[in-house]
Amino acid sequence: MPDPQLYSQAMLTTAIVSAVAILAMASLRQSAGMTWLNSFSVVGIGVGLSVGYRVLALQLAWPPVSSLDRFLTLVIPTAIAIELVAGFDSVATWFAWFLRVSLAAATPRILLHDSVYLSDSDFTWSLWEAIAILTCCGVLMAALWSLLAWLHSRSPGVSVPLALSLTVQCAGITVMLAGYIKGGAAAFPLAATLTTTTGVVWLFKKRSGNPTEICEFGIIGIGVVGLSSLLIIGRFFGGLSTYSALTIQLAPLLCWATEIPYLRHRNRWIVGLIRLLLLVIPLLWILAEAKSDFDRDMAPLLTRAA
Amino acid sequence: MRRHFSMWALALAVGTLVTTDSTSASAADEYDYDLVHSSVSFKARHLGISWIHGRFNDVAGKFSLDRENPTKSTFALTIKTESVDTANKARDAHLRQPDYFDTKQFPTIEFKSTSTKVIKGGFEVTGNFKMHGTTRKIKLVLMGGKEHDFGKVKRVAFSTEIYLKRSDYGFDKNAIGPIGDEALIMIDCEGVRK
Repeated sequence: MPDPQLYSQAMLTTAIVSAVAILAMASLRQSAGMTWLNSFSVVGIGVGLSVGYRVLALQLAWPPVSSLDRFLTLVIPTAIAIELVAGFDSVATWFAWFLRVSLAAATPRILLHDSVYLSDSDFTWSLWEAIAILTCCGVLMAALWSLLAWLHSRSPGVSVPLALSLTVQCAGITVMLAGYIKGGAAAFPLAATLTTTTGVVWLFKKRSGNPTEICEFGIIGIGVVGLSSLLIIGRFFGGLSTYSALTIQLAPLLCWATEIPYLRHRNRWIVGLIRLLLLVIPLLWILAEAKSDFDRDMAPLLTRAA
Repeated sequence: MRRHFSMWALALAVGTLVTTDSTSASAADEYDYDLVHSSVSFKARHLGISWIHGRFNDVAGKFSLDRENPTKSTFALTIKTESVDTANKARDAHLRQPDYFDTKQFPTIEFKSTSTKVIKGGFEVTGNFKMHGTTRKIKLVLMGGKEHDFGKVKRVAFSTEIYLKRSDYGFDKNAIGPIGDEALIMIDCEGVRK
């Protein structure tokens, strides 16, 4: 059964632990540049998530047997490791993107490993179906990742990471309303740590007098991997429809609308606000649909027949 | 001459092995699970006051009954989780999701016997029970085993019941909710041999 109190506790704990971890690391290194701040935020996300998922009491198996096990024990740690490595100045940009694209290509295969789609069963895809679907998922993830990182480097700020955080939260609620409670719950600590880390990093940048410096690639990377993975899990293992999954996956790209000449040179905060408002429209639409489906299919189970 | 003799000896040895094998095979009767006259059903507590009943509609299995040496008998059962049926489509769809059976990840529930003991009125069968990615050793008391001959078709039937805790098989404790952790599995199966 969904437990809003538990989810709130997990989100709050994740947020606090992430913030404390970043502050603790920054206090140890007084003159933290943007590279270090990126590393601190990535580590902060990792520490926050590990505590948040413990509060959520998700039972994880090792070796991982389910898609959620693989997401939390393989995909997210790999994304954190890649963003830690990619954040250093000495790492060439092409190499950082090679690692990111490799992860985007591998993640759908990892999540669907041993499932009915890829092993011998009544639902098994043909070789070409498997290649086409896995490639589409990987391309969507890589495209979202590169386009958001590009947008963020064109006009830095908090809007892109916050947009991702909002989208992750929406993905979690939608997956949950579609009937996969545990999968949806896994999104909440992720959304909490993305928001907190973005806020803490922004405060640091503001204090150092460099608010337009860029050091949120780590947050964006982990956010994109988390969002795409949750949607793949929700679509292929839960009851999430392809339409909802695609809409949520592509919604953050609406932030690009502010790059039209009329809006591009407006005040940063106005641009950020427009981005979030544009994003909220499809997300609310999907949530309303998911709620309506839930009321029709699932609510009677909880109130009468469950 | 010596080579010729060796070939003869080899042929004799192979022939003996093949004969021995076919003799042991004929001692055990092989039965296929008869889906039409069998059922795998379950019931679980609802809110601790009543029971929810369900069944699996797609089951396959094989038994090998050795009448001469019953301890050599083997039993195997494969249940397709996608076929869960509780007489409510929405609930069945929910039960197929990862919070419960996770049918896209774990399409089958399997039992394979590892040892068989004769008891009064049937067999006590120990074996590996795999559900939701977790395998545990369980003991099934199979009552029955009486053969029925109708024309050229031979039938044998067994019944068993076992309580299982869902949490022992990796089901999420948070998702257990109003439906109890413990479920009673009831298996009534007929094996058929032509």
